[in-house]
Amino acid sequence: MKCEYCEIIERKDKAQILYEDNDALIILKDLVAIPGQITVIPKQHFTILEMVPDSILNKCVVLAQKVGAAVFDSLSAEGTNLLIQNGLGAGQKVPHFAIEVIPRRDGDGLNFQWPPKPLAEDEIDFVYTLLKEEGEKIVIGKDESKSEQEKNKNSKKEEKGVITATAGETEIKLKKEGDNYLLKSLKRVP
Amino acid sequence: MAKLPADLSKLTEEQRLELEEKLKKMPPEELKQLQEQQCIFCQIISGKVPSKQIYEDKSCLVILDINPAAKGHLLLLPKPHYAIMPQIPEKEIKHLFLVSKALSQVLLKSLNVDGTTIFAANGLAAGQRAQHFILHLIPRKSGDGVLDLPERIIPQDIIEKVKGAVESKLNELLGVRNENMAVAVQEEPLPKPKEEKFTTSSAAKRYHKEKCAFAQNIPEDKKVILTKEEVMASGKEPCTCVTGKRIPLKNKSKAKLNTTEEPAKKIELKKPIETKSKIKKEAGASLDDIAGLFK
Repeated sequence: MKCEYCEIIERKDKAQILYEDNDALIILKDLVAIPGQITVIPKQHFTILEMVPDSILNKCVVLAQKVGAAVFDSLSAEGTNLLIQNGLGAGQKVPHFAIEVIPRRDGDGLNFQWPPKPLAEDEIDFVYTLLKEEGEKIVIGKDESKSEQEKNKNSKKEEKGVITATAGETEIKLKKEGDNYLLKSLKRVP
Repeated sequence: MAKLPADLSKLTEEQRLELEEKLKKMPPEELKQLQEQQCIFCQIISGKVPSKQIYEDKSCLVILDINPAAKGHLLLLPKPHYAIMPQIPEKEIKHLFLVSKALSQVLLKSLNVDGTTIFAANGLAAGQRAQHFILHLIPRKSGDGVLDLPERIIPQDIIEKVKGAVESKLNELLGVRNENMAVAVQEEPLPKPKEEKFTTSSAAKRYHKEKCAFAQNIPEDKKVILTKEEVMASGKEPCTCVTGKRIPLKNKSKAKLNTTEEPAKKIELKKPIETKSKIKKEAGASLDDIAGLFK
């Protein structure tokens, strides 16, 4: 069976389309939690967040942010929820990455509160050390920041001073983190 | 700088109203400072309140939620104080989601879960409890009952109503030009050429706009200025500056011509963005009011 969103992208009459460009679509689905719920989807088929390239994710996020700002005024929403269900186990219904923007009002009958799940101290510590280790390995948008820096270098001279200053900061930070990480792994050696 | 009383819950109704009035009159910078001072998450970011930090970079901090929906529930905090998502600059919000993508991958890999949910609440009505924007990243397992959305089918006429209400505002924010607007833009310049005057030389076969390099090269004694009707009657042909293909500029090579054309295009592109940022500021002002509800 074909992906429901891909079908919408192919046959435009399947849903109301608010916006469309080369990479993404903003649509109004008929099966939603509340009228006014707006969905942002990339045009290309990606099942989950992890598969979406940075540039397309950036675009979808900016669109979702604009949608969020638009519903405050136009639908007189008192708040918005932003939701990405990532994976079948997370309640994702269509196997196509999507950002849902849900306009909210007092007493609209929706409840997003989750039951708190108290954890034992050792469980927290276990998760903390596990994730901390993985978190230290994360490098965000390596290529993009490089190209951005190059762009900035080409732009005005006035800005140059600022940029080199910030670049220096990151370098120092990276060094610090690198030291910590090395020290830690040194300690781990038996 | 103004300081808030230590215990807000002990205020009388009168004092509370007085305080609200004071907050309303406060300049935005001072209000922001006050919000930051009161914000528990800003104190976590500055290190005054301890937390279990998973990831940190220049613009955001990720910590373990102390009241988690599941094991490994993470909070992504932008380091500067923003109450709600529309206030966050594009660059930072993009970065925040790239971090969430990387961390979602970490959760899926290391916690053996079925999926992740990324969730944000903007405003009290949306269930926001803290006054600092937070992006929740929740590891999920089938049937855990976290954030299950009850879905229903919405009739087409309501969907169309929503579309009608949102579309124009959204186009405004996205800098998309309405088709109707484009027509209006085209119609406007049309009556203008009637009033326009053209320059030509008594001996020349072509006529030019005043700014055209050819027109400026015509010696003063031979220069003739005609109205549109007179030009038509004269039987002279229009220069490319009149037909709109290209305006020949004085003493400029072709390469230079290209460079002068480019900025013109850029300005066209920038226009919608400029309006966008203006609108953002306007929206930000009203959204600040919403943010103020948390006081």
